[in-house]
Amino acid sequence: MTTFDLLLQQTINGLSLGAMYALLALGFTLVYGILELINFSHFNVFMVGSFVALFVLQAFGLSGQEVILTGLPLFGVLLVAFIGTMLFSGALGLAIERLCLRPLRNVKGPAAMITTIGVSYILFNVILLTIGADSKNFPNPLPVIRWKLAGATLDFRVVLIWAIALLLMAALYIFVQRSRIGKAMRATAQDAEAARMMGVEVDKVIVMAFFLGSALAGAGGLIFGLYYNFTSFIIGFTAGLRAFTAAVLGGIGNVPGAMVGGVLIGLIEAMGGQFIATAWTDVIIFSILVLVLVFKPAGLFGRIAPSKS
Amino acid sequence: MNATASAAVSVLTRPFTRIPEVQRRRIWMMLLTAAAVAFPLVHNNDADIDSMANAAAYATLALGLNIVVGFAGLLDLGYAAFFAIGAYTYGILTAFQLQPEWSAFWEPFQFLGLVGKMPAETGDGSVVHFTLSFWLALPFAACLAAFFGVLFGAPTLRLKGDYLAIVTLGFGEIVPIVVRNWSDLTNGAAGLNGVAAPRLFGWSFGVDATPYYYVAIALVALLIFVSVRLRDSRIGRAWMAIREDEIAAGAMGINRTKYKLLAFAIGAAFGGMTGVFYVAKLQTATPEMFGFPVSVMILVMIVFGGIGSVWGVVLGAFILQLLQSWWLQDLTEWLHAIGRAVDNIWLQHVDLVPSIELIFGLILVGMMLFRRQGLIPATRQQAALTLDQQHAEVRRGGFSDLKLHGLGGEMRSPEAALDIQDVTVRFGGLTALNKVELKVPRGGVVAVIGPNGSGKSTLFNVITGLVEAEEGSIRFYGDEIMGLADYQILEKGIARTFQNLRLFPNLTVMENALIGQHARLKTGVLAAILHPPGTMAEEKQAREWAMEIFSIFGNRLAPRVTQVVAGLSYANRRRIEIARALASRPRILLLDEPTAGMNPAETLELAEQIKSLNALGLTVLLIEHKLDVVTTLADTVYVLDHGEVIAHGKPDEVRRDEEVLRAYLGRNAQASLAGASVNVA
Repeated sequence: MTTFDLLLQQTINGLSLGAMYALLALGFTLVYGILELINFSHFNVFMVGSFVALFVLQAFGLSGQEVILTGLPLFGVLLVAFIGTMLFSGALGLAIERLCLRPLRNVKGPAAMITTIGVSYILFNVILLTIGADSKNFPNPLPVIRWKLAGATLDFRVVLIWAIALLLMAALYIFVQRSRIGKAMRATAQDAEAARMMGVEVDKVIVMAFFLGSALAGAGGLIFGLYYNFTSFIIGFTAGLRAFTAAVLGGIGNVPGAMVGGVLIGLIEAMGGQFIATAWTDVIIFSILVLVLVFKPAGLFGRIAPSKS
Repeated sequence: MNATASAAVSVLTRPFTRIPEVQRRRIWMMLLTAAAVAFPLVHNNDADIDSMANAAAYATLALGLNIVVGFAGLLDLGYAAFFAIGAYTYGILTAFQLQPEWSAFWEPFQFLGLVGKMPAETGDGSVVHFTLSFWLALPFAACLAAFFGVLFGAPTLRLKGDYLAIVTLGFGEIVPIVVRNWSDLTNGAAGLNGVAAPRLFGWSFGVDATPYYYVAIALVALLIFVSVRLRDSRIGRAWMAIREDEIAAGAMGINRTKYKLLAFAIGAAFGGMTGVFYVAKLQTATPEMFGFPVSVMILVMIVFGGIGSVWGVVLGAFILQLLQSWWLQDLTEWLHAIGRAVDNIWLQHVDLVPSIELIFGLILVGMMLFRRQGLIPATRQQAALTLDQQHAEVRRGGFSDLKLHGLGGEMRSPEAALDIQDVTVRFGGLTALNKVELKVPRGGVVAVIGPNGSGKSTLFNVITGLVEAEEGSIRFYGDEIMGLADYQILEKGIARTFQNLRLFPNLTVMENALIGQHARLKTGVLAAILHPPGTMAEEKQAREWAMEIFSIFGNRLAPRVTQVVAGLSYANRRRIEIARALASRPRILLLDEPTAGMNPAETLELAEQIKSLNALGLTVLLIEHKLDVVTTLADTVYVLDHGEVIAHGKPDEVRRDEEVLRAYLGRNAQASLAGASVNVA
């Protein structure tokens, strides 16, 4: 392969990773935008989501790459799998907010963030102790169709992942921009107190942010399985940190920023793995995180966060 | 605790109350020390002693993280990185990992016993074998880790709390990755092998757990001592001030950058020392020993024991470490026994040990929801004041009996103490101050009045370095102070209060006043730990000075010095802010609406106290809405409107100024009120 072919191939790979990180980053950004809270439990809501997807697909009698579906059956199975996974993950996020975070809403300091670390740990270990430490083969019913694009290969499933991710992000964007509750979310993100006084039910808005963010994380978990053909209890940490970096890069609290940031991080990971070394990918991504936070804390698209003094 | 009933109750709930607190504490310490020393002698089980040594090692880590998180309030999620740095420092400098060729360069090191010469495995030359002594490695690794603490801390200083957490998490991940990938130095994922055991007078510790246990216990004792000494010193107070309110800390003369980095450095140094110990005991080091789970485990320990509580975090570390190595195993065996008894297969095979991390998660969530202060809270409940002590003695007429040496003493003169010229401040499109000129004569009282939003507080913020001016000059006794940092401005002698109170809410009245003196005290880290006579004298004088300041307010603050300020009345909190500012021995006192929220009697009382302070020769610049206060106190009044000085002069002249009336009441109102005497405020 020529360098150009490599670049092209890694762009394709990077965009797929980026689609997944963007979905995950949206969850961080929605919650941070409203509560100014880094939600560490999001890491493992994503991981749990991929297991839920695994079980839904297995319920259809799918396992590994043995059964291939096409046409309507494929569409139906994927639709049910996405909806089921997203509903379950969304409900999980909602439960976390209701049980663990709402009681701490008015507590100053790092208590809420420490709680999300604890929740993340609980999810992680519940999966580890009940399902086990070995990685699980993820059912993949997609037909293998490959197109040649210069020297690179474009996979049908990659195209599908892009399409689904784009669809979800577009839906979220329209929801946040157009719907009544979306408007309430944006108002609360600007100034929760003023929004409350204008009659916005802030509790509802927060619940909605957790539900939407977690549902997208679940979709991200399903996409992870489809892309890598496996899932494991361990996938949340790395993917979560990269997605968080993506959210910061795009300007945390900024919905389109999270999408762009996700794609950028995906591309950086793919290119870094190809042209530098996979072993150093995390170091590169963390360095970006630190550099962005130090030199441009508002990110690429973020407004400068109002300092609460 | 003077009522007999409560004393009787406390005998039941807290034994030995008759023995004075200090002695009781000493007795507990002696018992604890004796138990710690005797443990290996009476309990001759090597595995158990080893568990205790590990628990002690984690206690030292918890103490280190507690300095950063508990004292300075900087949430660090990558603390294990410093543990790793210390561990690999000792590991690399005693194992056979690095073997540079022998040359004359190494001879002085050989003479010092830091390296040895040994034949190369291949070829016939000689190579270097590093043989750093364990006892030298402890301070060396502490310094190295401290250096990295500063290095990692520096870029995070400007970040708000949550971002700090995520960046430290990043560094915590990068360090093990570097260790894994830099195999020449660290032997990569396989880990370092053959790390030397410590030697004492030629005798090697070997693999027996007992000597390690004693070293670990000594390390815990040392670090508890250092933690307590730092906590109760000028250094610890500065950290807690930053934790409680960064802006107020800066305004009280604390160099935030310096003290945050100091917390990172000292916390990291504790971690580095523990790393040396841990690796010497294990005689191996792999990157997995220092990952995110370790950082979280240490965090769980301090959350469990009590964030900021020295004894709490030690207790938390011991309980959780022993839970892991003893109790979960015991519990598992009991469950197996029960399973056999009731013939339940699941119970016979259940293993609780792997669920330790799940328990950690549950502890984090449970403690945050139900007991945020931890097992041993850092601040203890204060006994309520008696009715007698609560009785406020209203003091009219200010004070004349206090000398307050070191405060004021300024001769009245028309020369400017503070000279503000052409100061302009813009926030985006809004001009908050426009070419403001203001002079405060030495020994005088100047009041600034003006409608809400006229730029009064911005004026204070620009003087004290909280807001940057676009242009202009601010001279204080002839020196330009514009562009200085907030803490430097306090050092120059300008102290302020805030309109919306910025006290350190979880600290006591005394601690607040002591923090006010930060810039005037000298105690550094070493003096705080070692307590040379000078430091003790300084602390004593600082407390005496604080009491002297409190006495300005009669008996309002004096009986409450050990109370946490968050629980005091609004008026008393205002008084504490003034006391805190006065404690810094300012040459000029800036008061931002000092009587806001006070009733008329309290207002008059405070105005007279300020008058008395001025009579001692203290220059005052105040923002005030209550006109009677302004006329009682001020020699000169400046009126601000829309960021501009629209009038200044004697209080009476300003009251009659047309533009002032217009600013306050509008043109029409002014017309309708023409001729009538108008109260400006």
